[in-house]
Amino acid sequence: MAKIEFRNVNKSFGQVRVIENLNLTIEDGKFTVLVGPSGCGKTTLLRMIAGIGPQTSGQVLIDGVDVTDVPPGKRGVAMVFQNYAIYPTMSVRENIEFGLKNMKVPKPERDKLIKEICDIVGLTEYLDRKPGTLSGGQRQRVALARAMVKKPKVFLMDEPLSNLDAKLRAAMRVELIELHERLKTTFVYVTHDQVEAMSMADTIVLMNEGVIQQEGTPEEIYSDPNNIFTAQFIGTPPMNVLELGRGGVKFGFRPERAQISRESSGRYYERLGRISTREMLGSETIYKVVTSDGPVMVKGYDSSFQTGDEVYVSVDKQGLYLFDSEGFRIRAGAPDYGALMELLGRTAV
Amino acid sequence: MSVQTVKRASLLKMPRPNVFLRKLFPYALIAPAMAFLIVFTVYPCINLVYLGFTDWNLVRPVKRFVGWQNYQTLFKRPDFAQALRNTAVYTVAMVVLLIVGSLLLAMWLKDNKKLNFVAQAAIFTPHIISLVSVSMVWQWLMEPKVGVLNTILRFLGLTPLQWLESSKTALMSVIIVSFWKSIGYYTLVVLSALQNIPAEIYEAAELDSASKWRTFYKITFPMISPQLFFLLIIITINSFKVFDTINIMTNGGPAGSTNVLAYYIYQYAFSYMKIGYASAAGTILLLILSVLTVLYFRVFSNRVHYQ
Repeated sequence: MAKIEFRNVNKSFGQVRVIENLNLTIEDGKFTVLVGPSGCGKTTLLRMIAGIGPQTSGQVLIDGVDVTDVPPGKRGVAMVFQNYAIYPTMSVRENIEFGLKNMKVPKPERDKLIKEICDIVGLTEYLDRKPGTLSGGQRQRVALARAMVKKPKVFLMDEPLSNLDAKLRAAMRVELIELHERLKTTFVYVTHDQVEAMSMADTIVLMNEGVIQQEGTPEEIYSDPNNIFTAQFIGTPPMNVLELGRGGVKFGFRPERAQISRESSGRYYERLGRISTREMLGSETIYKVVTSDGPVMVKGYDSSFQTGDEVYVSVDKQGLYLFDSEGFRIRAGAPDYGALMELLGRTAV
Repeated sequence: MSVQTVKRASLLKMPRPNVFLRKLFPYALIAPAMAFLIVFTVYPCINLVYLGFTDWNLVRPVKRFVGWQNYQTLFKRPDFAQALRNTAVYTVAMVVLLIVGSLLLAMWLKDNKKLNFVAQAAIFTPHIISLVSVSMVWQWLMEPKVGVLNTILRFLGLTPLQWLESSKTALMSVIIVSFWKSIGYYTLVVLSALQNIPAEIYEAAELDSASKWRTFYKITFPMISPQLFFLLIIITINSFKVFDTINIMTNGGPAGSTNVLAYYIYQYAFSYMKIGYASAAGTILLLILSVLTVLYFRVFSNRVHYQ
């Protein structure tokens, strides 16, 4: 159990500043997901917590203690690497045992711990195998077991599922959620996959170019984005963002909140357009509709529309978002919110 | 008719090669390589063993069969025993010095720093210089009266050595030159092995609180063991066959103190014209190397981790 704090943290690689003056608190016992596109600094943050890529300046605190000078092995953290970083010349047992041996844990206790953990992750029958003979999923489990056996205060995971196939990835996602439920320790999980972030996180920290864009529960991030970046990073397809045509202000709506119909529906925002592409995904269908405001994506359960059909795209008032010229959200209550919304509703079909 | 059916029809009309020719085909393909191997490797080896049982002298056309006589003479002669002993000392020294040395140097050079590139180039340079010119330089460095090495020893208040001029230090001197000449190449081999170990494995070890020594012993060493094993075999074979350094620097002297097996064979074959006798010695060199290589594989193969 541990709370992690970043205080005015900076990180440079040579001349390149990756993270500038970042402040963040990761709550005790929560499943926190750091998410963002490649190169946004999320792995850099994780490595700072682990102590294998220390910050250039600023403080990292674990449970209120500045760990800047604490070596990685003494921080009470365990890490699962993207490509597992299993010791290839050691057997599964030796891999899991290595950390315990280094910490001088006596043999009977080591054996007990290994048995306990291997029962949980299902590795018992592979203990004497070399990693080279294991499948990707089994290696993943070795990496997990190696982290779990140390009973860390913090679990750090750097895109641990990215090397697995889609089916196994979905299964491991559930297992990791269950693992967190059982251990109740702090999990810090790095991914570039917004689906992973949404499905697993208690708290999402969305980053871009070394700057935190938004912090919040998956629901908050999805339904109340702070800026265009957040709005478009989360959700597939991303939020439609279009020019409002006044002072660089933009408006947006999620493809799944829009509806298409052959007749006018009388909703707050409505535009006539023509379907240019149609993607049938099974239960849902995604249409690209070219309207007078620009091309928009619409996602729905009705697959009866065809390419070339003339349709109305409509959105409720609650489904509309406004962003200023800088890309920041204009929320209800802002001085010109009412006027801008009115513009959106009134504009001719 | 589609294109595919046309193709298939024409294929069916083609005459089928008979079974015998089809079986012969792969052998025909490797025949040139095999012929080369038989003429230049297998035949000389067999001929070497055969000549070891004759008393041929290169001049007479007759190769008289003498049975084990050459071998009996070999094992009685003290100069052969001395050559064997020198070869053993030279080989053990080279194996130990080169493996430990290249490992230490590679560990030092493995980080990508500018200084390391310079050092790496400096260490590798002796490998690309001709041994003949290098030997001249070392002979001059090791000159007992005015040589640089003795000047340094005197300056440090140590007793100067006779280097190549004394039977006590000559073999050591040759070993120093050989080590200096070949360390760069072997360091490069170890270095590339070290740089192939993924950084995350070391990071994982750090998180597992492994000490520096344990990380080396449990992770680095096993991971480069295939390359070290390769070095062990290559250095052993090269050392057993050492000839050029001896030939240029000492001619086996003084008093046979640097005479090694390959030089011994050369001397008897081409200076004393005793091809039969030299072939017997050559057969023994072949035997020793084969036995050693098999032994290495037996002893170490379990400890080498191939991935």
